Amino acid sequence: MFVYEKKLQYPVKIARPNPRLASVIISQYGGPDGELGASLRYLSQRYSMPFDDQKALLTDIGTEELGHLEMIAAIVHQLTRNLKEKDIENTPLEAYFVDHTNGVYPTAASGFPWTAASMQVKGDAIADLTEDLAAEQKARVTYDNILRLSDDPDVNDVIKFLREREVVHFQRFGESLQQLRERLNQKNVYYMNPSFDM
Amino acid sequence: MESNKMISRHEEGRLPAMAPLANPYVPFQLENPLKYEPRKALVRGTLFPGLDLPFMGMVNQQEQPVTPSTELQTLAFMIQELALYLDTHPEDKEALELYQTYQKMLHKGMMEYGEDRPLNHKLPTKGDRYRWLDDPWPWEYAANKED
Repeated sequence: MFVYEKKLQYPVKIARPNPRLASVIISQYGGPDGELGASLRYLSQRYSMPFDDQKALLTDIGTEELGHLEMIAAIVHQLTRNLKEKDIENTPLEAYFVDHTNGVYPTAASGFPWTAASMQVKGDAIADLTEDLAAEQKARVTYDNILRLSDDPDVNDVIKFLREREVVHFQRFGESLQQLRERLNQKNVYYMNPSFDM
Repeated sequence: MESNKMISRHEEGRLPAMAPLANPYVPFQLENPLKYEPRKALVRGTLFPGLDLPFMGMVNQQEQPVTPSTELQTLAFMIQELALYLDTHPEDKEALELYQTYQKMLHKGMMEYGEDRPLNHKLPTKGDRYRWLDDPWPWEYAANKED
């Protein structure tokens, strides 16, 4: 089961609201490579993992991603706090504002709402862990791009933390894939589906 | 020469000498890797200098101010980072010991902090008032700025 803890994984303290940055950072809440997709991807893939080490890793990283989802929400919430109509007019946040006011809604920066089509559960441990390697890379690049667009030190402090977590997760998924492979037929690791045929 | 060895010891990992074709490989992190101090680990987003690979040299130089809240965040981060490491390195006894040390410290810290600022519904609280409702909630600016 999940138990809510009334604290963030890492402090989020954005001194100055900024509608433009909010309109960009919302993508890591509900965009194609965002934290909602990451947490649901890993927490859903774990059920078809054949071995305990993969079950543990997907549970632990998936749970951490839920914490990152909350941190991204905290950034967007603080970047939009106390904004009034005049602060939002003629900023890139206008289109978001008309549908969601200053609420936090899972959408990509482009306005496309979060979709499960941006993630996959293939039910094959090798395919799923390989997707996870790619997912961490794509999330990392999104954070790189946010750092390119933001000059707010309070925002960047948190984004740098979140970006580095993607690097660490990539490393662990790679190690986990290797551990899985070592348990399979070394002549042909694709002989069967380790999630389905073992 | 000795110092060169030290660099490769934590920045490089182990690959199989021979390996099946048509598979992706990530070098395995070696056991007993070099570690940052806890407060530095938190702001860098990793415990391990070998995995600290920033974008365009952008790194958090300034550590978080020491408050009861960042103390807990630091301890919890050490546990999380060691847990992910242990998930793929369960035989590293030194990491296991460190993980257990931080578990004890966090447990003690959460018991003290949580008496009047509940962190979850399960840890014991004190007093005749239901404090779970109390503002600020974690996503609010007031919960994170220095006291």
